[in-house]
Amino acid sequence: MLSLSSVSASIAGIPILRDISFELKPGLTTVLIGRNGAGKTTLLRTIMGLLPATSGSIKVDGTELTTLPAYARAGLGIGYAPEDRRLIPEFTIEDNLLLPALALKLSRAESEERLARVYRLLPELEGMRKRPGGGVSGGQGKMVALGRALMVTRSALLLDEPFQGLAPALALEYARTLGRLREQLPELTLFITESSPQLLADISDEMIRIERGSIETDAEAA
Amino acid sequence: MLQVLIPLTVDALANAAIIFFVAVGLTLVFSVLRVLNVAHGSFYSIGAYAAASLGLWVVSAGLPEWLTFPALVLSAAFVAAIFGPFVEHLLIRWTYGKSEALQILVTFGLFLILEDLQRIVFGVNSLYEDTPMRLLGSTMIGGIVYLNYQLLLIALAILTLVGLKLMISHTRMGKLIAAVVADREISQALGINTNRIFMLAFTLGVFLAALGGALATPTTGVSPGLGADTMVLAFAVAAIGGLGRIEGAAVAAIIVALARVLAIYYAPELDAVAPYLVMLVVLLVRPYGLFHTDTTRRI
Repeated sequence: MLSLSSVSASIAGIPILRDISFELKPGLTTVLIGRNGAGKTTLLRTIMGLLPATSGSIKVDGTELTTLPAYARAGLGIGYAPEDRRLIPEFTIEDNLLLPALALKLSRAESEERLARVYRLLPELEGMRKRPGGGVSGGQGKMVALGRALMVTRSALLLDEPFQGLAPALALEYARTLGRLREQLPELTLFITESSPQLLADISDEMIRIERGSIETDAEAA
Repeated sequence: MLQVLIPLTVDALANAAIIFFVAVGLTLVFSVLRVLNVAHGSFYSIGAYAAASLGLWVVSAGLPEWLTFPALVLSAAFVAAIFGPFVEHLLIRWTYGKSEALQILVTFGLFLILEDLQRIVFGVNSLYEDTPMRLLGSTMIGGIVYLNYQLLLIALAILTLVGLKLMISHTRMGKLIAAVVADREISQALGINTNRIFMLAFTLGVFLAALGGALATPTTGVSPGLGADTMVLAFAVAAIGGLGRIEGAAVAAIIVALARVLAIYYAPELDAVAPYLVMLVVLLVRPYGLFHTDTTRRI
């Protein structure tokens, strides 16, 4: 599955990630816990190739990612939902969901099959499929971003602070959705970053702690 | 008065059509690459030189004269194929995400190089090739004579505007371009090869500028300095419409053209400054142009 060895990354010359090594186990949920500014988002962006790693190696099923352009990750089946949703405001929700299918040049049958899977897993999205991406609430937007990442996902799904900015009731709802996802897609490798572990206690198989850009060595498995 | 104003207006709209091609290319490149290409006008003049040269060759080779029509589009496509990928890959690509000052210096350098290149290749004498305009002739409506070629220019500009809008809303490539305009980073994460989109958008921008130049040749002579004049006018039009707005470029081109008609009729000495007076007023009231909004489609 996805493995990092000695990965470091800098933003504007300032080291943010230092010598990070860990491995995601296939079919399990790994939660990365860390405070704001600990480097969680930077770590995901580095995995996605949106920020170049200054050293180290990131591999998915033996394929080295650090030498590949950012867009190649989607083709390898790595889904990514950023913290701030990042929907295309002028596209409808359905067009937002279908964007990765267009980018990856999936066949019509394959696109429809993946879209149907997303609607099956996240039924609330089907009701808002015609609405513009700029016209949904923050919580709904998080669901759309999750669905869009699922359109890509064949190997690993990376979620960056999915509960950030959600009202408690919505956060609970989102956590339930993740639980459902876990049940219905047992083969899915899930990697979630979060600042507090409570909401994910039920579904997490492994926990890793990140502090000031380094993995805490005394990380306890939950 | 109408006997004078109507032909002047048709004249102006035909000019607006030409400027629209250049301005919409500029605006497209700016919204996708976020680079203001100062050398954009050079592609207009290279397109004009290429079209005039090819047209003159068609005529001198004794080929059927109607071939001068496809020759106009063909020369624009040729210029785009030669310069688009090459310039984007070798030069523009290195300025992505850098400061605007650097982008303007680099593209200004490119402008100087291209201007001299044109003098070397095409010389400093003017070229005239008006076969397409002669072939189409004129139409008399209500006692006023219209050049059919000018009407063709207006029709082509409308077709291009509609075609571009449809391309962006209905085709795979158009949707990928719109996504890259809205959010580069997430576009990459979702599998879009943004570098390829940049190259395609730049090449399309070069094609539109070159097409403007090619279509202008039958109505005017081609001589050195054409690129600079057009660039300044296209920039004013793009700024009035709102940089990055396709329909903004169309409306602004018409406004500027009509302002020039009024200037020619009422105050001929203001003809040349009319577009910039319009720009001044528009930007004082709406600093980001007529069609700029934060929430709506930016392309």
